[in-house]
Amino acid sequence: MKLKAFRYLGIITIGALVASCAAGVDDTGLEYAPQMYHSTPYEPLTQIQNEDAGSWLDSNEEDGHGEFYNSNPYNQFKMNMREPVANTVRRGQLLPVRLGKDDLEVAAATLANPFPAEDESVVKQGKVLYDSYCKHCHGEKGNGDGLVAEAYAGVANLNGAAYLEITEGHIFHVITYGKGLMGAHGSQVSPEDRWRIARYVKELQKKN
Amino acid sequence: MFKTTPKLTKIFLGLVLGIFVSTSLNAQEIPTDESVIAAGESTFKVNCATCHKIWEKRIGPALNGVTERREVEWLISWIKNSQAMIAAGDPIALELWEEYNQTVMTAYPSFSDDDVLAVLAYIQAETAKGPPVEEVAVTTAGEGGGDAISSSYLMAVIIILVVVLALAVVALIIAARTLVKHLKDVKGLDEAEQEIVSQEFNVAAFLKSNNFVGLVIFVFTIIVLKTLIDGAFTIGVQQGYQPTQPIAFSHEIHAGQYEIDCQYCHTGVNKSKSANIPSPNICMNCHTQVKTESEEIAKIYAAIDYDPETQTYGTDTKPIEWVRIHNLPDLAYFNHSQHVKVAGLECETCHGPIKEMEVVYQYSSLTMGWCINCHRETDVNTKGNEYYDKLVKLHSEQSKEPMKVEDIGGLECAKCHY
Repeated sequence: MKLKAFRYLGIITIGALVASCAAGVDDTGLEYAPQMYHSTPYEPLTQIQNEDAGSWLDSNEEDGHGEFYNSNPYNQFKMNMREPVANTVRRGQLLPVRLGKDDLEVAAATLANPFPAEDESVVKQGKVLYDSYCKHCHGEKGNGDGLVAEAYAGVANLNGAAYLEITEGHIFHVITYGKGLMGAHGSQVSPEDRWRIARYVKELQKKN
Repeated sequence: MFKTTPKLTKIFLGLVLGIFVSTSLNAQEIPTDESVIAAGESTFKVNCATCHKIWEKRIGPALNGVTERREVEWLISWIKNSQAMIAAGDPIALELWEEYNQTVMTAYPSFSDDDVLAVLAYIQAETAKGPPVEEVAVTTAGEGGGDAISSSYLMAVIIILVVVLALAVVALIIAARTLVKHLKDVKGLDEAEQEIVSQEFNVAAFLKSNNFVGLVIFVFTIIVLKTLIDGAFTIGVQQGYQPTQPIAFSHEIHAGQYEIDCQYCHTGVNKSKSANIPSPNICMNCHTQVKTESEEIAKIYAAIDYDPETQTYGTDTKPIEWVRIHNLPDLAYFNHSQHVKVAGLECETCHGPIKEMEVVYQYSSLTMGWCINCHRETDVNTKGNEYYDKLVKLHSEQSKEPMKVEDIGGLECAKCHY
């Protein structure tokens, strides 16, 4: 009888242990094949700086750190991610415009949209991009009445008298570097996409 | 001795008249016409309201009583081109320029004097109305009431059912007791019937009976097995993982309340394998102004060495170490752009109700079965994509069903494992 009771107790314990393998708050749960969850190559969006992490599972003693350690000692802050090398242009990308933040007037007067005016797909793509990057502040129709504008005073009404005559080059430059209260969006929106948005904004203004 | 020739008189008269006319034009009075005020209101709302309010300081000063503070001529030239006035060294203009941290007010050279006067008329009319009475905060609790009502309604139904069942059981017991009592008095029952009537329920004997013990063991084994199997399936599945992040960023506020598109911050989602964790400069597109006093925002400021007082950046920067939530093991390959850009999937399909998440957790299991299921059930988004034209043609020759992901190799091992 006693033996039987122990057996049951054993089964309950194993059951409870296995049931506790699930992930939860601050707990990834039990990993199956943990070497597969912790990459040997530098992982872009994780970084484990603790050299002892995963030493219980170490498969390579020569590297001098645990299995889970994932940091690049040659980078600042041992970061795995790196910024692109300065003054380089990715293949297929438009060459950068060599104008600074304060060159708005030059940009407005000289920069021209590389997309042909008759290309209607540009406006369509521009709308998608506008809805992603601009709508929450400038509003669906550009009236400066997006939801964020309630919390962030000073969002420009793109249909206001001061903005109706701006050129696509002006819009491109403002997206790139920001203007007044608007932050620079050059890091988020690629140059091609900026031109698409600029074309769409001009279309938007015509509708009002 | 002094002859006024008709010619001179004419010039003199002309001059007097000219001065008279021009002063009457210059001393522009702010109109009080209602139609003009209405026109001014619409101009104000389109062009001014983003930076100015009548009774509240926003980006620029509160405008109540501005028509009394300043000359009308000054206001007209300021609105048309404030920068020119600052450059010309107008003392009031310079004072304002410094007071508002050298914020450039947009110039409106296209406005006519009448346009500006209409706006001023609107401001004057609003000033006369006095400051708005503060509205009593209306609780919005009613909005979420729908679900609460239906769930409490369900609870009430269940409780009523349980009570009715309990009453029925009690009634049955009472009925049985009465019957037994009655039968005990009845004479002429045979022995077997007598035995049933005088039978007493023995709890101890029942608990020791083989039937009961067998049932208990059976139920117990089933429960343990179920727990074991369920538990075994959670090994390596990080569904529900909800780590505490270094900054308490709320998707509920940003994506839910303010409806900021996911792509605004996760810029890589259409172009690359991973969707990107935004760099702090994207936070700072808004948080130079929004919630600058918050403790959580202060953590961003600390990371990028930003001083909100002087609005300047230092050089002592350090990374914000967000904790990665979704982590596919290295044996499987996944690419965001293929799913979001090409297939046109919504983020919520895999990431769940992200717009309601105060703290993000892993919504989907990310198991192979989960991937495969979706590849079996989902039609390929072939619209406007020439790449698929020939495949669709081939597929429609063989099948009437729409082309699923599995039909174009979505279940091939080497699609994801290589």
